[in-house]
Amino acid sequence: MTEQAYDILLLGSLIILAVLIIASMIRSFLGPGISDRIIAINMTGTMVITAIAILSVFLEEDYLVDVCLIYAMISFLGVVVLCKVYTGVYLQKKKLKPDFGAIADNLTHQGEECRERDVRDNKGRHAAGEEDGK
Amino acid sequence: MILEWVRFILAGGCFAVGIVFMILSVFGVNRLHHALNRMHAAAMGDTLGILFVFLGLMLIRGFSMSSLKLFLVILFFWVASPVSGHMISRLEAMTDEDLGEMAVLEFDAIGADGEESPIAGEEELEHESV
Amino acid sequence: MSRRRDNYETSRWKKFLRWEAGEIDPLEQGVEIQVPSVRDREKASDPGDVFPFEDIEESGMYGDRHEEDEAVLKSRGIRFFRRFYCVMSVILCLGIISVLLWTVLYLPPFGNAANPANNEVPMRYLEKGLEETGAVNAVTGMILDYRAFDTFGESCVLFIASCCVLALLRIDAASGDREKKRLMDENDRLFEPKNDIILQKCACVLVPFIFIFGIYIILNGHLSPGGGFSGGAVLGSGLILYLNAFGFKKTERFFTERVYRRVTVCALSFYCLAKSYSFYTGANHLESGIPLGIPGHILSSGLILPLNICVGLVVACTMYAFYTLFRKGGM
Repeated sequence: MTEQAYDILLLGSLIILAVLIIASMIRSFLGPGISDRIIAINMTGTMVITAIAILSVFLEEDYLVDVCLIYAMISFLGVVVLCKVYTGVYLQKKKLKPDFGAIADNLTHQGEECRERDVRDNKGRHAAGEEDGK
Repeated sequence: MILEWVRFILAGGCFAVGIVFMILSVFGVNRLHHALNRMHAAAMGDTLGILFVFLGLMLIRGFSMSSLKLFLVILFFWVASPVSGHMISRLEAMTDEDLGEMAVLEFDAIGADGEESPIAGEEELEHESV
Repeated sequence: MSRRRDNYETSRWKKFLRWEAGEIDPLEQGVEIQVPSVRDREKASDPGDVFPFEDIEESGMYGDRHEEDEAVLKSRGIRFFRRFYCVMSVILCLGIISVLLWTVLYLPPFGNAANPANNEVPMRYLEKGLEETGAVNAVTGMILDYRAFDTFGESCVLFIASCCVLALLRIDAASGDREKKRLMDENDRLFEPKNDIILQKCACVLVPFIFIFGIYIILNGHLSPGGGFSGGAVLGSGLILYLNAFGFKKTERFFTERVYRRVTVCALSFYCLAKSYSFYTGANHLESGIPLGIPGHILSSGLILPLNICVGLVVACTMYAFYTLFRKGGM
């Protein structure tokens, strides 16, 4: 009796996980930036690990848990390597400084742009006001 | 017999909570708008979802070698998932061109004092140690 | 033609047309991080929203306009050939995919008892394998005892592949200062963030466990699923994680090109020597004279354990060498 209940529980969560895997793959197709894709792939990996662990209980095969561990390790390594490589490629293309200076550079650069745009808008407004005044 | 059913109900509760966390994280990743927000949603599924589902599995298996390995998987995730989140957020902070428009960050505490160019010379390039 | 400037500059069909005309590389734009200038960013819209094949009907219009624009390729023959080549490559790709999928339909069902693979050979392996090889894991007994020469070939293929990558990608120190400087400038590795304290502390915790897990998989290869290939991959990924956290300077203290060469050559030659006795016993791998031991113990099943260790070392070194060669151009 309980075994049937366990089977239903495990199978139901496996089906839900399969739907969730497809739903998170959608984000990895759509995602506009590279970090969105990395996030979605990382989460897909999490779901797959959960599914493998549930399968190991459902099929009563203990070695599948080892597969879980290896999968978790490889997905973590993949995220780390991809992040480092893409940061390096981006900074090389932009010719920015590495490390935390890059974030500061990025933000100050944007700040200058915003300030320039504000100044331009203010000038435009001033000019318009002067024209109105005239 | 009653104990069996209690165990089943406990495991089923853990499963339900974990699956709900996973659904929430998938929903958040598909629904939220910026990569940093999406990362927050994904991290929830990485930690709490994995924790509850694996706790349910460990309850089903009882004391054995495989439930020890399941516990190891939880430990690995709780160590590795925040670090991968850190790496992704750092990539996003360095490469997002529109970051300044949606967040106001202060970088005086870190200090942008890296004066030397990265391509100055090989000796400088290779001082990677702490 | 009135709405031609709106969304189609970034649509996939437009990208396909431009790729077909040889202007852009779609992989470069789609996969890598784009670095838009300020003007581009204002102009560009989200490319992910456009359905790829929505506007196939309008292809004639865009194609004509494109021909007018193009002034680079003077010769009409070359242009025709390029266009023909691109279209035919797409058609060939789709054709191969459809043929492969069509073949899958005619494969025998998985696990059927009447499949042609179910003949007397696997029956013999399953019945006599434990008593002849001493390995509880039948797969390891097969690949490292019955078919050990085959596995030797696989290890050699790994070694040869890493040699080829070494010959192609290695940045030679003796090829002149300017060349080296140019290659160093072009390497994006120099720009990546280093000394990440969080990653370093995490690696301090995780890398020993990863190594222990890999060694466990290798040593338990004849008792549980796993073995040299998967354990070596785990060891190699642990090394790559350490390298990512601490940089090349730290790993060069214990893993240089010389270490790689020695470990690989020693492992391969030990494998070769250990398995070449079958030339003298008439291609019979099974009578090695080493006692098989009790099935289920770590020290059992004759030569399988040392051969597993050899294969694991070769695989770990090859994974690490691939990573360093593609990343840095040296070890």
